Amino acid sequence: MTIVIIGGFIIQIPQIPILEQTARNIFFHVPMWMAMYAMFLTSCIYSIRYLNSPEMRFDIKAESAANVGIVFGICGLLTGSLWARFTWGTWWTFAEPKMNLAALALMIYVAYFVLRSAFDDEEKRAKIAAVYNIFAVTTIPFLLYVVPRQLTSLHPGADGNPAFSEITAVELRYILYPAMIGFIALSFWIYDIVHRYKTVQYRTENS
Amino acid sequence: MQEDSVGVVDTLTQVYSDKWTGAEQFNETNPLLTFMYSNDLIYVVLGVTLIIWCVLLFFMFRVDKKVSSLEDKLNSE
Repeated sequence: MTIVIIGGFIIQIPQIPILEQTARNIFFHVPMWMAMYAMFLTSCIYSIRYLNSPEMRFDIKAESAANVGIVFGICGLLTGSLWARFTWGTWWTFAEPKMNLAALALMIYVAYFVLRSAFDDEEKRAKIAAVYNIFAVTTIPFLLYVVPRQLTSLHPGADGNPAFSEITAVELRYILYPAMIGFIALSFWIYDIVHRYKTVQYRTENS
Repeated sequence: MQEDSVGVVDTLTQVYSDKWTGAEQFNETNPLLTFMYSNDLIYVVLGVTLIIWCVLLFFMFRVDKKVSSLEDKLNSE
């Protein structure tokens, strides 16, 4: 049932009308990050629920959500890099805070999986991973919103400006918001598949 | 006056200025780059969507593979 509802949202993605030049990247690059935030937030919520009541299903959900979040983060980073190459003239620059801090945020989540693989005992792994995950999610708003806004940068959302509100044209927003909803829904759908796979795997290993 | 003092202090620019090639790369031309810059950079958008498509597809293939191996395991049991 959930899949049917979410599937309805996904249909919105192909309907994105194509306007003009690279400004259209906003429909793809920005929703990637929004999907990543959604996934990391879901992951954090399940980590908290796991600590509240230690059941393995919450841990599995938190792990799957973080996994899908990283995939979307990588998409966002790669698309941002390609976009930067043809508008700023370089693949990667260390003078650009948002770029580097986004990479750092992804590293923090990669470390989450490294940490998980370091434990053999399931309960212990789940508990420590949950605590680390809650720590990791608190760094995200600082790394991607607070700090980049204090620094000078070519990326929108620097120097105390909002990334998009007055600046973004109205026509862009008609497509941007459905695209965000669409990609977030897509991320939840993928998360659901991954989580179902992991649940089945967990059951077969423990039966 | 001020330019002079900057010139004295700023030794880095002289040494490294020819190494800061980031901005210069923009003028570089080869068939691929001219293709990418054609039609108001539209192919950049194509590239961006292709990246997303490929990464997601790769991820889904990996999940698919894992599910298949799990199925094999369950069937053989």
